[in-house]
Amino acid sequence: MTGKPKISMYWAASCGGCEIALVNINEKIIDLDANFDFMFCPCLLDTKKQEIKELPDESIFITFFNGGIRTEENEEMAHLLRKKSKILIAFGSCAYEGCIPALANLSSREELFKTVYLDNPSIDNPHGILPVPESDVAEGELEIPLFYDTLRTLSQVVDVDYFIPGCPPEPKQIWKVVELVLSGASLPPKKSVIGAGKSSVCEECDRKKSEKMVEKFFRNYEIIPEKEKCLLEQGLICMGIATRDGCGALCPKVNMPCTGCYGPPEGVLDQGAKMVSALGSIIDISDIKGLSEEKIIEKINSTIESIPDPAGLFYKYSLADSLLKRRVAQ
Amino acid sequence: MKTAVYFCNCGSNISEKINPEIVENTVKMNNPGIVFKSYGFLCSEEGKEFLKKDIEDSGVNALVISACSPRDHEKTFMNVLTSAGLNPYMMQMINVREQVAWVTEDKDRAAEKAINYINAAISRVNLQEPLENKEIDVSPNAVVVGAGPAGLKTALSLAEAGRKVTIVEKSPFIGGLPVRYEEIFPNMECGPCMLEPIMGDALHGNSSENIEFLTLSEIDGVVGSYGNFTVKIKRSPRYVDIEKCIGCAECIEPCPVSSGNPFNCGINKRKAVDFSFVGALPNVPYINAEDCIRLNNKFKNGDVLCRSCIDACPVGEDVFKFDEKEEILERNVGSIILATGSDLYDCAKIPSLGYGKISDVYNSMEFERILASNGPTEGKIKTSGGKEPRSFAIVHCVGSLDENHKEYCSGICCEYAFKFNHIIRNKIPSATIYHLYKEMVIPGKENAGLYKHAAEDSNTYFIRINDINGITVKEEGDKKFFYIDGAEKISVDAVILCPASVPGKDTGKLAGILETSLDKNGFFEELHSRTDAGRSKIKGIYVAGSCHSPMDIKEAMSEGIGATGYVLSGLVQGKKLSIDPITAVVDSEKCSGCKVCISVCPYKAISFNEEKEISIINELLCQGCGTCAAACPSAVIKANGFTNEEIFAEIHAILA
Repeated sequence: MTGKPKISMYWAASCGGCEIALVNINEKIIDLDANFDFMFCPCLLDTKKQEIKELPDESIFITFFNGGIRTEENEEMAHLLRKKSKILIAFGSCAYEGCIPALANLSSREELFKTVYLDNPSIDNPHGILPVPESDVAEGELEIPLFYDTLRTLSQVVDVDYFIPGCPPEPKQIWKVVELVLSGASLPPKKSVIGAGKSSVCEECDRKKSEKMVEKFFRNYEIIPEKEKCLLEQGLICMGIATRDGCGALCPKVNMPCTGCYGPPEGVLDQGAKMVSALGSIIDISDIKGLSEEKIIEKINSTIESIPDPAGLFYKYSLADSLLKRRVAQ
Repeated sequence: MKTAVYFCNCGSNISEKINPEIVENTVKMNNPGIVFKSYGFLCSEEGKEFLKKDIEDSGVNALVISACSPRDHEKTFMNVLTSAGLNPYMMQMINVREQVAWVTEDKDRAAEKAINYINAAISRVNLQEPLENKEIDVSPNAVVVGAGPAGLKTALSLAEAGRKVTIVEKSPFIGGLPVRYEEIFPNMECGPCMLEPIMGDALHGNSSENIEFLTLSEIDGVVGSYGNFTVKIKRSPRYVDIEKCIGCAECIEPCPVSSGNPFNCGINKRKAVDFSFVGALPNVPYINAEDCIRLNNKFKNGDVLCRSCIDACPVGEDVFKFDEKEEILERNVGSIILATGSDLYDCAKIPSLGYGKISDVYNSMEFERILASNGPTEGKIKTSGGKEPRSFAIVHCVGSLDENHKEYCSGICCEYAFKFNHIIRNKIPSATIYHLYKEMVIPGKENAGLYKHAAEDSNTYFIRINDINGITVKEEGDKKFFYIDGAEKISVDAVILCPASVPGKDTGKLAGILETSLDKNGFFEELHSRTDAGRSKIKGIYVAGSCHSPMDIKEAMSEGIGATGYVLSGLVQGKKLSIDPITAVVDSEKCSGCKVCISVCPYKAISFNEEKEISIINELLCQGCGTCAAACPSAVIKANGFTNEEIFAEIHAILA
């Protein structure tokens, strides 16, 4: 035990990229260790749940919680860490807004199990066994955490103090947050998004922007975009316009459209809906005057149909935290 | 925030269906601390006094008024708020009368709906912020597009009221269609003479210094909105100085080139420098750039440039301005009046009538020019063979009352058809005249006279036909025959077709520039076809004359006065225009400059500040439609009075 403030990092339904992002602060990790007692991180350390339970409440200064709430265990750990932490931060897109795991909300639990345990070409499951919370085996009763029907974000389960967006958060931004805490400066209002900007990715993107009118959309492999011009204007669906800045516009800088991992800009309630609304405003309809209603619909549809998988595209990161949250009917 | 609900019973209109007590109990339960009061007629003088006093005494700072449609009394109650010292935008009015009491049969359902609406309004009004009206300077002046009867009347009346008016006229002359008519129904006045007092006053009367005539000019673009339009006008060169030319016509005869005169429907020729027709005003010829040798050979080295017109001019060389270029002019005005007139339906679209293929088959405009003493035949009626025709067929309803062509009746064709009858009878007393018509339409107290003459005339025949398309005109030698439904065969020397009145050919283009809407027939669409037929759907843009509906000169003149009334009452000189604060606002700190919003604004109110790299909304131009707020992908544009928070609060409460 040391006198340093405790810092912990937990992963729920996530890929592990957030831990790698933390380690990617490189030699600053030494500074982190010098200032904090990095005491809990299942990915890196062997601390047990029981040890956390035994800590007094609010004795962990900061917890970086990454991953969405997919299982009973995720939820249990969310409550435990909330209780034991002074500052609970939803770290990364999964904890903040659901991210890729939340796209499973477009299916039901039964459909997910069918895909993963029955139809998966690489699985051998002749008896069609599916996970159940409790089962009797030779050694006795086996308990595994319940798999929920819907993935929820951390803040849909417990009270969250701050949100750090990104899939994963940029190491530079993680270090900025740590530095802010270390500086002793007053922290931003609770529930704020920290480690990011307040505008959109376009703010950090150097591409030349014009008035937007897009006649046809392309998938990334279909065209080689011009280097200087706004990608959206070239027909690539760049989510940058509806995505919070802070990443440094890394993707557009290397000719790849933004996919929206920093979540909605400040004040936007639903990133996907905002993107759809913006695209609806810039789809080129300049030469429809005099056309019949059917022809106009046909023209608009042909543009819209060039967008495959709209849900996966517009809600790639934000489905669980959106107004939609999940599919509700077949 | 202390919030109050005022529930108007509207006599028994609302309370008969919705029990105010039930509503009060539930609303109070759902919204602890809310003030709830009901009243008989909130819009009555006593009601307004009660409301004012109650606001003052109870110290509420946000109000929900549950009453009738906001179109009825929103303004009434906003005024009460103002008089009670409260910001008028701290109110949310809900329409419990039309949208609940009058349409929901079941009393329990009605009460439930009313409660839902009230709860939603409370949720939103608590988030509303005080907004301030802004006052802006406006231009009392106007641009009038088209110098026909309606346009001239508008321009002259506005000028007489001290307003500056710019008339933009596409053709080289003013007066529109009637100055090309020798005589005009119903009183057989000479067209140019009838318009002369108006044109004369406009050109050199007491108020003429207030009128600027731009002929050979078209609208090229418009930005801005009611009170502050900036109109771009494209003026094509006339190549003759209107100020210096005295209109002596000496230059015309020596000009070596000529081509078909479009103002006489191509029936005769005009010189490259010529008047549109004799008597056209302004009394200055214009040069047709396509024909003029000098303009076309200008850059050929070594050739001697043609100077026929210059040499003939008694005034001097500088009357001609061969280096004149197309110009873009800008005028800042508060109102725009569209008076662009109409055209004739293309008779060739009914091929069986032979128009354009058989000689001596004329449309009514061509025949008007033939009858005109300043026209191609100097008023003499002759067939293509040079003989005086002995018999005429006048076909009414060409392309009218016909779902395959134009469904409407233009209401003027029968009248000028009987005018033709009258003129033909005077010029050729023994001529036989046949009127072929589907319906006879001669409305108005003065208009039956010409019809009576024709009806009483022993050598005029009326043939009613079910389907004008069933008429076939054929040529055999120098004789024309018309067949009715392929059977009856009648021989005539000339055929005059009276087609439907249709919008002028550039109406669509102009509507595109102004973003005004057109009706299904391509005429400018009125705000309301009965109560506001002089207004387009865009505030500050008015319509007058046959550009929005077929009509005669009398109606067009009245509409010109009507448009004048709109301008004078709307934009009073020296008075400021109050700007509604329901506008969109850009958060300049957060705008990333993605430029999504710019092209979506129907009022062209959004521009881009290249230095700060942010969008800027001009609050004078913004009409608060919210399109940009919806389009802004980073929620940086806020729609005053309709913020996301307010709308979501409302929806949440409705769905709760």
